[in-house]
Amino acid sequence: MQNPFDDFRNHRTREREIPLDSIIQSRDRVMSQITKGYEKLLEEEVKELVWLVQYNTVIKAYTLAEKVVKEFEYKAEDIEEFCYELDSTDKIPYLITGPAGIYISALCNYAQEGEITLKLNDLKTQINLLGYRLPVGKKVAVEGNLGDFTGIGMEGGELVVEGNAKNYTGAGMKSGKVRISKNIGLHTGEWMMGGEIFVGGRVRGLGKIVDGKVYEDDKVIYPRNYRQSNAYY
Amino acid sequence: MVPEEIIKKIWPKVRTKHLFPELPIPKVSEGRENVALEMKDKQITINTAFYDKISHKMGVEEVVEALLDHGISHYTYCPWDFHTHLRLFREAKRVVQDKEQAKRAAGLFMDVVADTHCVKEKKTPLPELYKHIDKGKVDAVISSLYQKIWGLDLCAKEDEEVVRRLSRIPYLDKKQWDKSIQKFARVIKTLLEVEEEEDRQEGNQTNPMGEHGLDGYTLEEIDQGLRNFANQNVGLKEFKETFEDFKDELKDVGYGMEGGMGRGEGTPLDADLIYYMKLAESYSIPIKKVPMEKRGFLNPHSHCPWEIGRPFQDVDVWTSFGKIMPGITQTWNKIEGSTFGERESVPDCIIIIDSSGSMTNPRKNLSYAVLGAACASDAYLRNDAKVAAYNFSDAPMGGKAILNFTAERVKIYGVLCKYFGGGTALNLNELDPLLDAAKEPDIFIITDMKITNLGKVIGYFQNINNRITAVYIGENTYALRFREAMEKKKNMSFYNVTKKEDIPKIVLGKIKEYFRGNL
Repeated sequence: MQNPFDDFRNHRTREREIPLDSIIQSRDRVMSQITKGYEKLLEEEVKELVWLVQYNTVIKAYTLAEKVVKEFEYKAEDIEEFCYELDSTDKIPYLITGPAGIYISALCNYAQEGEITLKLNDLKTQINLLGYRLPVGKKVAVEGNLGDFTGIGMEGGELVVEGNAKNYTGAGMKSGKVRISKNIGLHTGEWMMGGEIFVGGRVRGLGKIVDGKVYEDDKVIYPRNYRQSNAYY
Repeated sequence: MVPEEIIKKIWPKVRTKHLFPELPIPKVSEGRENVALEMKDKQITINTAFYDKISHKMGVEEVVEALLDHGISHYTYCPWDFHTHLRLFREAKRVVQDKEQAKRAAGLFMDVVADTHCVKEKKTPLPELYKHIDKGKVDAVISSLYQKIWGLDLCAKEDEEVVRRLSRIPYLDKKQWDKSIQKFARVIKTLLEVEEEEDRQEGNQTNPMGEHGLDGYTLEEIDQGLRNFANQNVGLKEFKETFEDFKDELKDVGYGMEGGMGRGEGTPLDADLIYYMKLAESYSIPIKKVPMEKRGFLNPHSHCPWEIGRPFQDVDVWTSFGKIMPGITQTWNKIEGSTFGERESVPDCIIIIDSSGSMTNPRKNLSYAVLGAACASDAYLRNDAKVAAYNFSDAPMGGKAILNFTAERVKIYGVLCKYFGGGTALNLNELDPLLDAAKEPDIFIITDMKITNLGKVIGYFQNINNRITAVYIGENTYALRFREAMEKKKNMSFYNVTKKEDIPKIVLGKIKEYFRGNL
């Protein structure tokens, strides 16, 4: 009787290493580091149970985030991928939008690339506080909508958003440019010390601005005397 | 021309390389020069026009081998089956939103996976083919991606940022395909939009390595794929949406078309109906058989004198002394054997389904009532019985649909899936003709029991001896009242359905101590 497996006798599987393997390995390693760093940040922040956007809390969280992200190397694509990992809550147990935004901002600020594009159109949640302390020479372009406190405390960088942003956009920014292609919410530029905010759509309300400029559809709406804080128009 | 001899020579080598896939020997045809190969009903066909165009750039055997490697890798690795194809399409559509773009994205993803698998695991001239093949903008990007992830020079230099993003996707990790295709679609979305716009202006461009239509699957594979897809926790809405996106192609391959000759435009494919049909096929509900009638051989019982005109075959030659003569010849009187003749079989069934306002609309959400009824009808049909359907809302006011006994699944599902959404009342007189149309049919009623003439319904069911399976959706006082009133009836069994998983627990016609004569 003929052995039915005879045909396979001379078969040798040929599995060669291709660059894809190392790319995926490296990506997985970096993602694991980014995720661990975020979990470390959360461990600290969750102690306070309720996360409030207060001057001290933001600074404390950012200082910790800064320390964590300096420990490993990553690319702009890793940041985008991390945003989607955050969105799929099964992997990272708790997405607290405050610390998440601070952490992502730190990742952007310490990335090797000068220009970072984040395609976030398909995110289910909106990230708050993105662009925090964006330094001079850095440009972050976001495709998709962002949440509250977008571009707060900016330090000279450029934040471009192809979408909407919510309240307190550009709050406390010192210098730099925030460009929002669509609409933004209330308290725009609250405690803004300098820099410019360009809005392609509508600004729902201005905050108490100290200095800087706000444009709505290429027209300057701050500084102009007749416009009251948070006036609905 | 591609000489048939080359295919004959290459085919055993390629088959061995791919561990002997069950595919017939490929054919050649004079196709379009921009499409390399097609696969229909497992038959790979290489287009000679494409072959002629590329053969002066690389070896003839290499071209054929590369094309076959590509085609077979789709068959053996990705998509592998129609269910995976649907899954990938659905995930891509979640990102790109557009049907055609999602199909293109899914096709490209399947190409990348199949080709990368082939390049990694087999010795293949595929990279050489990609080097020489004519490409559109998107195909050029994919070639650049191949260059990066395969580590080979394919003379491709396209959009570095896009390629960098695409190269981070774990194509060979099957478990992550759902997520991976989303990433893939997200990255190439803009390119697909540009390509679609160019197609509109310059005429349709096609994938040089062949389109990923449904031609490659057999009708059974499509059926199985839809069944798996319906069972994969896909909601009705999502199933419906995906099904609608493939409706034309399904029609083209003849899915859901009843066989036979004749004229007429045919029944349109109804996504809701197919959804319930595929779900029902996955739930096997057992039916208790009942003794239907005495059947059996006639056995010789006693002798009687033979008379002229009586059949010769009944003559008992031993007692007739070999003579055929009235008065001498004896014949056998035969009677039906009483012990060997009883056979159990499944009676026909009347399915009564409530589609009043208190029930879920089966075309909007998963209706347990319709699924239960569909499973029941499926169980009877599989046992060669026929099914009649009575769908009611406010039946006396016209809110009803009645179907006489039939074995045509589509017609039955059509009635079961109807939703009236009005009041709830049964017109019991309308059940009589159905009960008379078959021999003691079973009755399967599925409702939430919030029936305005429940008293009459109880009275009606108390007076009939047919086997009744009553399934009520959710718990309420009406169901309790019905149950209490009917509890002593031995021909009745009750089931409560609160979730999908309760449906397989139903045993149709299971009756406690059921003896036909003792009711």
